Amino acid sequence: MIRQLHALVGPVLARPLTALGAAFLMLIVLGAVFAPLIAPFPPDAIDPVNRLLPPGGAHLMGTDHFGRDTFSRVVYGARLALLIGVGVVAFALASGVPIGVLSALYPRLGRVLMRMVDVLMSFPSLLLALGLIVILGQGVFNAILAIGLIYLTTTARIVYGVALRLRAEPYVEAARSMGAGTWWVVTRHILPNMISPLMVQASFVFAFAQLGAAALDFLGLGAPPDVPSWGNMLAESRIYITRASWLLLWPGLMIVLTAFSLNLVGDWLRDRMDPRFRDMVRK
Amino acid sequence: MKFGQLLGGVAFAALMASPVTAQTLRYATVSEPPSLDIQMGTATLASTIAQHMFEMLYAFDAAAVPQPFLATGETISEDEKTITIALRDGVVFHDGDAMTAEDVAASLNRWAEFGSRGKLLGLEKAEATGPLEVTLTLTAPNGAWKSMLAYPNGGPVIYPADVATAAGGDTIAPEDYIGTGPYRFGEIRPNRYVELVRFDDYAKIDAPLDGEAGGREALFEKLQFIPVPDVGTRMSGVQAGDYDYAEYISGDLYGTVKDDPGVQVKISAAPIFGLMFMNSDTGPLKDNYVLRQAILASLDMEQALQVSVGEPELFKADGSFFPEGNVWHSTSGTEAYSEGDAEKAKALAAEAGYDGTPIKLLVSTNYKEHFDQATVFTRQLADAGINVQMVVVDWATLLTLRGQPAEWDMFVTHHGAIPDPVLLTVMNDSYPGWWASEEKQALAAKFTGTSDLETRTGAWGELQALIYEQVPVVKVGNVYSFDIASPALSTPWDGAPAFPHFWGASK
Amino acid sequence: MLRYVIRRTGAAIMTLIAASIVIFAFIHLIPGDPVYVMLGDGATPDQVAALRARLGLDEPVVLQYLIWAGNALQGDLGHSVFFETPVTQVIADGAETSILLATMTMVWIVGFGIPVGVLAAMRQGRWVDQGLSGLAMLLASVPTFWVGLYLILIFAAGLGWFPSSGYPSIFEEGGLANLRYLVLPSIALAAPNAALILRLTRASMLDVAREDYVRTARAKGISPTRVVVRHILRNALLAVVSAFGFTFAALISEAVVTETVFALPGVGRTVVQSILRRDYPVIQGVILIIVCLYLVINLLVDLSYRMLDPRVELE
Repeated sequence: MIRQLHALVGPVLARPLTALGAAFLMLIVLGAVFAPLIAPFPPDAIDPVNRLLPPGGAHLMGTDHFGRDTFSRVVYGARLALLIGVGVVAFALASGVPIGVLSALYPRLGRVLMRMVDVLMSFPSLLLALGLIVILGQGVFNAILAIGLIYLTTTARIVYGVALRLRAEPYVEAARSMGAGTWWVVTRHILPNMISPLMVQASFVFAFAQLGAAALDFLGLGAPPDVPSWGNMLAESRIYITRASWLLLWPGLMIVLTAFSLNLVGDWLRDRMDPRFRDMVRK
Repeated sequence: MKFGQLLGGVAFAALMASPVTAQTLRYATVSEPPSLDIQMGTATLASTIAQHMFEMLYAFDAAAVPQPFLATGETISEDEKTITIALRDGVVFHDGDAMTAEDVAASLNRWAEFGSRGKLLGLEKAEATGPLEVTLTLTAPNGAWKSMLAYPNGGPVIYPADVATAAGGDTIAPEDYIGTGPYRFGEIRPNRYVELVRFDDYAKIDAPLDGEAGGREALFEKLQFIPVPDVGTRMSGVQAGDYDYAEYISGDLYGTVKDDPGVQVKISAAPIFGLMFMNSDTGPLKDNYVLRQAILASLDMEQALQVSVGEPELFKADGSFFPEGNVWHSTSGTEAYSEGDAEKAKALAAEAGYDGTPIKLLVSTNYKEHFDQATVFTRQLADAGINVQMVVVDWATLLTLRGQPAEWDMFVTHHGAIPDPVLLTVMNDSYPGWWASEEKQALAAKFTGTSDLETRTGAWGELQALIYEQVPVVKVGNVYSFDIASPALSTPWDGAPAFPHFWGASK
Repeated sequence: MLRYVIRRTGAAIMTLIAASIVIFAFIHLIPGDPVYVMLGDGATPDQVAALRARLGLDEPVVLQYLIWAGNALQGDLGHSVFFETPVTQVIADGAETSILLATMTMVWIVGFGIPVGVLAAMRQGRWVDQGLSGLAMLLASVPTFWVGLYLILIFAAGLGWFPSSGYPSIFEEGGLANLRYLVLPSIALAAPNAALILRLTRASMLDVAREDYVRTARAKGISPTRVVVRHILRNALLAVVSAFGFTFAALISEAVVTETVFALPGVGRTVVQSILRRDYPVIQGVILIIVCLYLVINLLVDLSYRMLDPRVELE
């Protein structure tokens, strides 16, 4: 048991920066789960008298223009960051994997599906997301959909590539020639072999979902503005840049560190994966 | 290097001292103005520029009371439907022709048919009944008729008859911008400037200036209106002496300019105010005046304004719909304004039988003030046990959604300064919110049925009191925008008017 | 080869048609109505109906699409509902800013990404390489608008070296000196993309270094610097240069956020503003042009790949 744990943790420790990244991600998860216990104030408690206070005293990271506690909002912001990340990854995988696998197995269907993916990819991704949000309306769920759609295309392409290559593997060919059903081939040979490229893709998508969501928030089209997300915090404090620059520091740092940690972990996973597929999972 | 700077300084000073520069007012605008045919459009900037060229039968004095301008007086029939207006003699158009009753009648008729506010007067026809006499026939008595004839924003300015008739429903082309004002049209160079030139044969009224009324005088040779969309550039341009005047400096820059000796701050005399409408057509707030009073009682406007505006000089928690000094100012009903009393609100909500039903508050993020105010209100209402659900959309969506009664219970918007209560959106029965109670209609009939100012101001006071009793809308408070000017500029007004004018101004 | 060119071009045109239908359908699904935005707060139903008719918004959507697509083929993208000028004019107004911004950004990306990528590859596995790769990853993790805000805070509001916002055309007063308005935005926009080019340069340098002819050159005793410059760099850059096209096209639309931060009058910002105003013709026009740009660049990259590197297999 301890040896197993060591086998898992050991390589991480060999890359100290990656280990730090992983630790930071754990911190984010803990912060998100225990937000009400950690945050000293409710994130939406308004106190106009104490607005725009610099960091220090009762307000570890200062207060915003409503007089709300920045630290508490940063802690609650972790919830949204996780929700967006998990949501986008789930959406991208749940839609991209079937599209990619089906396209690889049925070339005729594949031509149509992949052409549709091409059409989607020909749109500038940020504008596509913006347009979707405006159509669907503002909201966390819709932001997940809009960002997820961008990564549906890349995920589908990667899965398609990997599945095509797996399908041509001698043992898969052999299994098929021996009369194995499609379902059997998919569940026994294709999906299990796809886990490591998908994990790498998932960590990168998770990282970029953070940046995408922040950009949408900043344009006022992401999470509803009353939700304490890091992007919203930046968007709201933008005009106080000269008067209260610390308001921009904390949420921005959280976004950068979260995305950076995820990228580190993703990179580490990629270095450990099957070299045959390594080139396919490029950002 | 030093010598070069010195030389540059001397050259610059020489340039500044040259008469051409000294006699040109350079005004930095937020954008390129649309057509200056202001009968047809309500853009603020177009009104600001065009009021120097085009004049009206009446003009507002400092207390916002309409005074004869191109007119000299009027007689009104018993039924208030026929108005005979006498015109001032000796008024000359920029093309040299004298203004006659024909010109006035043609201008009024074009405005009534095509003008953007033309339908508000209910003008059946305007006829020249003498060389200097015009007779207006209204479809119904309209107490606000004189204000309509004095309000330049989308209002009936006077053009020569042939220009007005030829244009019809199309906007007048720049080469036909002919009016009677102290400045005449010079040229428009897209993205560069609009230039007006002093009109030397201007027929000045022999009376001191009083607001927009009285003797207007062009002291500048030229007025240049220069589009400078970036607010930072507008501000630094005035500081550097490139512009004499810059409009709409954003509130967060107030701190930087208020103590700068290199600029004059001109805080607006025409405050904009936030409004939160309630749905009188459908939903939990329909006819439930006590619940609405509970909502009103829980709100502390001072807090909302502090958060949304910040600078204390730029807001005022004032429940009156018109500012002090204005003829329409009244304090009736305002004791219910900004109480911020959660206990009273709870009691009222209980009396109203409020059961915790969520109240949908529609708000847009395009205007930061709207969203900030709504956020504070939501919190204050929650403290009073009233459950508000914010529905945040963009402005375009809000404009569509608010037309659908089932989609909202309250929405946040704002209102510009206006010369007569008749132009308040809440007075319009078909404006979203659809406030049309019997009490309102009775008072509104009294208000519009006469042109006697005293009766009308009295009726408005009662209407304002009714607004605080039935709460079809909640006024948030006055927000003052501000402009800046070079220290050398002297203007005949202190606070910037809604449409800053520069007759009588000099530097 | 000719058959391939024709087939590839045909496919691109099909994609464009599909995309144009998607654009049109999408945009008409947006709730909210340009007419209300234009007429302002107190619009009467009469005014609304009259304006809708004047703008052609009361026609069936399919007919509206056919009219639009037909005109677009003749280079007419319609009139902006808000500005009342031709959409092509609105796009041309924003194009100067967008193209100059993207160009200046490319200068930073190339000037930083390629040399640093080469350096990392030459020191593969050592601490310089690890440090630089870490830096690249950090740059890729930073939101451009956040960098932009701090650049404004430090270099515009603080030191006053560069203007904080806006961009007057270089054809107006100030001339080429107006390019200083684009310095901070282009640096902000360059950060994540430079990281991409850095990693790409490093990776393809290492790929090429494994090729047989490089080993042969090394075995022949040619000096290591000469090998890197003559053999590896030249071939490695082929892959990098082909990524320039996409990066440039992506910059035009990715700049939306940067243009918002710095209040630049570019194409991206025009789209966002037009979305808020529900200015359908402008949104459609701009997105169509950007999609065209993507497809043309995609096509050119594919074709040049085929011409430059005969090993690339044709589908």
